[in-house]
Amino acid sequence: MDTKGHILTEFDDALTSLKKNTIAIGTLAQKNLENALSGLTQRDTALCNQVIADDEEVDQLEMQIDNDSLQVMAKFRPFASDLRMVISSMKITHNLERISDHAVSIAKRSRKIIKNSEIDEISYIEPAYHQALKMLQISLQSYSDSSTELALEVLSMDTDLSKFHKQATKTYTKRLEEPCDHYKTYLNLVFIVRWIERVGDLATNIAEDVIFMQSAQDIRHGGDLED
Amino acid sequence: MIQIDNVSFSYDLGKTNVLRNISLDIPEKKVTSFIGPSGCGKSTLLRCLNRMNDLVETSRVTTGEIRIMDKNINAKDVDAIELRKNIGMVFQKYNPFPKSIYDNVAYGLRIQGIKKKDILDAAVEKALRGAALWDEVKDRLKDSALGLSGGQQQRLCIARTTAVQPKIILMDEPCSALDPIATAKVEELITELRNDYTIVIVTHSMQQASRISDKTAFFYLGELIEYADTDTIFQNPAQKQTEDYISGRFG
Repeated sequence: MDTKGHILTEFDDALTSLKKNTIAIGTLAQKNLENALSGLTQRDTALCNQVIADDEEVDQLEMQIDNDSLQVMAKFRPFASDLRMVISSMKITHNLERISDHAVSIAKRSRKIIKNSEIDEISYIEPAYHQALKMLQISLQSYSDSSTELALEVLSMDTDLSKFHKQATKTYTKRLEEPCDHYKTYLNLVFIVRWIERVGDLATNIAEDVIFMQSAQDIRHGGDLED
Repeated sequence: MIQIDNVSFSYDLGKTNVLRNISLDIPEKKVTSFIGPSGCGKSTLLRCLNRMNDLVETSRVTTGEIRIMDKNINAKDVDAIELRKNIGMVFQKYNPFPKSIYDNVAYGLRIQGIKKKDILDAAVEKALRGAALWDEVKDRLKDSALGLSGGQQQRLCIARTTAVQPKIILMDEPCSALDPIATAKVEELITELRNDYTIVIVTHSMQQASRISDKTAFFYLGELIEYADTDTIFQNPAQKQTEDYISGRFG
């Protein structure tokens, strides 16, 4: 028996399109996150505004992917790996939309920070940001390449992200305990680093969805991946 | 309930085996689906279970044995007619006798020698109720069965089968000639019959197999490729051939 594409080429086309759009929303969400952080570190209000505007595209694409997924399920009644691919793509899309929402929240707080004078401590968010961004990039690559190995790599990165998040939060709260002129900025940075940590959590969710898509194993909430 | 142990089967005195080394245990009071492309041997295997293939003179089980309720059904002392009293069969094309609705259901009981009207009446009502057909036909039991719709005729055939209270019901694509509503009614009936009967069903509908069966066996070119819980077969089959078939990649 040959292992080819589906007999219905339209089914193949629909799955290919679904994957392409999921990767596209991933690219947009990642770009929004990068722009939000660049807006903060480069004190660029226009870039922050662009993040807020670009989120609309992510929202539209999320709705399109949901609709396309429903169409695939209604028209082609997928089974096994095809069904998991459709379900996982929907879930991954939802996580990516949330990441873009966090980018918007970061951009809004950054606009407030920019209005005040510059402080050196902004750089304390960078280890957490770089870790979260790397987790997002690898999780998207794991979906694109259908790679369980890459997805597992994302899961292994979460501990360091938590560490970086705690370190940054500790620094900012310590500053807040002392009389200072920049308390509003420190408070906003506490929120921002919290959203960055949430991006890492959502990247972890994406990686878990990829593992489910590839192996049919649900490892959420402490489950182990069996051979 | 049914043990199929290393069974090979031939229609031409053993020159060519159309089933090769099939082994599977079919559990009691569950629905087991046989799926696979045309010519894979699933209907042949179904017909081995009540020795329907005996009607083909040159057919033979060439290796292995089939045990039903711990008895080798191809043993010399097993009478095929006696065997079939415990194994009802429903076919692709509904085939009621050109008799009344009542007489169709009572047919098997009368053959068994039951003549008392009150016993027959009760058995006919019970079988028709069991087939979810009673309310639709109770006022016209003496009308011809051929006047019923296709879906009703198929449910009548199921009632005719259950009236004699077999242990096992074999179904060979029972919904392939029915519209979606009639199919849904038969599927609903099958899920209810599961409480009292062991059901083996051959179907070309993946959705049907996934909806109604507890176990699913996938056959290809006369071989059993995979046999597992239906959830496993349709969500995460172990064999790539199974995955390719159920997801429409077969070719």
